[in-house]
Amino acid sequence: MAADAGIIAIGAGIAIGSAALATAWAQKTIGAAAVGAAAENEKMFGKGLIYMVLPETIVLFGLVIAFLLWTKM
Amino acid sequence: MFKPQEMQRTVLIGAKQELEKTIDLLHTLEVVHIIEFTPGDADDQLHFGVPTMKASGMSQNLLKIRSSVQILSFEREKQAISEKLPEKQIQQDVEHKIQELELSVLSLTETKTRIEEHFRKLDERIRQVEPFGALDIPLEDYQGYDHITVFTGCVRDLKKLMESLPKITDEYELFTSDSDEQMAALFIVKKHAEDAGKLLSTCGYTEVKLPEGTGLPKQFIEKWVAQKQELSDKLLQTTKDILEFRKRHAEFILASEEYLAIEVQKAEAPVLFGTTEHSFLIDCWIPKTEIQHVQETLEREMHGSLFIQPVDQHHEDEPPTLLKNPRPVRRFEYLLELYSIPNYRDIDPSFILSLIFPLFFGLMIGDIGYGILLILFGVLFMKAFKDSEGFTNIGWYIIIAGVFASIFGLFLFGDMFGLPFLTPHAEPGETVYSWSMLLGIHIPIPSVIHKMESLGMTQLLVISIIAGYLHLGLGLIIGVVVERKHNRKHAITKVGLLLVLTALALLIFVMADWTIGQWLKPLKDTAIAPFLWSTFIPLVKAGVSLGGLIVPYFTIILALLGIIIIGIVAGGFGLVEVLEVTSHLMSYTRLAAICVAKAAMAFAFDMIGLGLILSGNIIIGILGVILLIFMQLMVFALGALSSGIQAVRLHYVEFFMKFYKGEGLRFNPFGYKRKYTTTE
Repeated sequence: MAADAGIIAIGAGIAIGSAALATAWAQKTIGAAAVGAAAENEKMFGKGLIYMVLPETIVLFGLVIAFLLWTKM
Repeated sequence: MFKPQEMQRTVLIGAKQELEKTIDLLHTLEVVHIIEFTPGDADDQLHFGVPTMKASGMSQNLLKIRSSVQILSFEREKQAISEKLPEKQIQQDVEHKIQELELSVLSLTETKTRIEEHFRKLDERIRQVEPFGALDIPLEDYQGYDHITVFTGCVRDLKKLMESLPKITDEYELFTSDSDEQMAALFIVKKHAEDAGKLLSTCGYTEVKLPEGTGLPKQFIEKWVAQKQELSDKLLQTTKDILEFRKRHAEFILASEEYLAIEVQKAEAPVLFGTTEHSFLIDCWIPKTEIQHVQETLEREMHGSLFIQPVDQHHEDEPPTLLKNPRPVRRFEYLLELYSIPNYRDIDPSFILSLIFPLFFGLMIGDIGYGILLILFGVLFMKAFKDSEGFTNIGWYIIIAGVFASIFGLFLFGDMFGLPFLTPHAEPGETVYSWSMLLGIHIPIPSVIHKMESLGMTQLLVISIIAGYLHLGLGLIIGVVVERKHNRKHAITKVGLLLVLTALALLIFVMADWTIGQWLKPLKDTAIAPFLWSTFIPLVKAGVSLGGLIVPYFTIILALLGIIIIGIVAGGFGLVEVLEVTSHLMSYTRLAAICVAKAAMAFAFDMIGLGLILSGNIIIGILGVILLIFMQLMVFALGALSSGIQAVRLHYVEFFMKFYKGEGLRFNPFGYKRKYTTTE
């Protein structure tokens, strides 16, 4: 059972870790573009912020899966 | 509160000789949003209006006074002015006074620049002559020889120079300064000059150019330093004069700038109107609540010479948006406008925003310690940026969020700075701190939800999903209300989405089946208890088993119904929205995620810090205190920032997407916010 718990923990780690990486990757590109747009036109700030935070949902999917795995440990 | 002010499109028509009076009246009324005139077909009788006669003169004066304002920069005086000057008085004085003021400002600033220039020149000269001051040779003695070359400059290795020179020739003379600068002047017979130059370059020689003039350098310097002193006294006096001038004239200059700006605004207003040879036409929006007042005032003052005609609103018209909210809610209009100004036909979500934004923000912080810190920080923020409307509003949001965070911390999570009030259950051999334990007194504030335990995390996730369901559901219902008249198809799609959303929320609710039992506990002794436990709960829970997961029949029926409705109304593309609404619901788990992540970080830091503090060693203890304060501030800053941004995001993305269109036109009444002048 101990080995199982270890495997589950690694799985949970991979779930949230890779989801976080994906979010970061997406935000890197969007963030740079959003800051550029806001620098040109201040009214774009609100829209830029929205685009910027859109990928954050990805990491939450990772979190939920990780949590579901954790409860099985 | 939920709709922007209703607007009435109105057309004002009058004879041209009444134009100026009409403009004056509209300007004082300050409730008329003028629609810029755009010429229609070629044979249209209407043309752009032209600015009134006084426009150019006023503009010139405004330019003059603005340049004075620019030069004098009245930052301090602006705040001190409390009394407003009557417009009539400015009107009388402005013409002749402006000329006078402009001349004084110019002469004062010119004097100042001249002195500064002179000062700089003297400085430069002193800098040039200073090295020669140490040598005590009159300047004329350095030049005018036929057979002698003179080197003047700094020598780094003076000793080497002195030792090596006799090897070249003995026909030379070397003067050196006693000071650290190693200034040297070498007079040497011309035929040895080349060798001497080579030697000098090996001794770290840098040439210092001989300044112009005659006499002993020391005397020059003394004279110039005295002159500099004199100049700096003068400069001080001029600066004082300018300050004095600023103080004396600030009130008038600022007031006349405002007066002229208003006059120019009025004089240039006719370019917004359509005109014929003898008449003008003003097309405008007036809030419906003000229309009677406007009509009465215009009729009374103009003695009926102005024709006022309300126009029916067309579908393609875009009325400007003027929000009307009670005072505490008004601050949240800023947060809304940061996203986009509401469309005239939108529901105004400021009120909902003012309730739910701080609620989410506070839930994510959920700690009385950080809550109080947030309130303090918000107050400081408002004080520090009291001139900026945007920042004071943000300060206000932080304060309200702090109140919510404190309430959640006290009644739901029972913790302060990440540490629970009551000692939680711990494994044998594990040290777990709590406020009760640290202070040695029993603090009876229980943690209803333990963030750090598996059960608490699950409860928080379910709370997040429920919050998301209610929030999104509200958004969809508003969407249905808004769309029902304009676009029936969209409205019905939203009803379908609401069914799917309910199915999803129900599924998650049943999955976390213990929560229902626990949350319904307070109803156990009521009359409906038998119905709940024997009929309602089993009915909700009954379903098919899918790989160990029980999917209730209710969920399946609701989801299918929703999908069928969307499929029929919006086709395959509408089904994408089903996926979207699912991911939006999941998105609310960030409430739980940030709440727990922040608490876990704070708790871990507490354990490290308290471990050091209670170690028994004084030095380690002091280090522990410093470390703990630093780490707690970091958790606070990170937590507050991410909670704030996430709470904004849940509104901007998940909530607003369900109904909000934005991109409205701000209601901008013709008029001026007077600060320094008054018409009375």
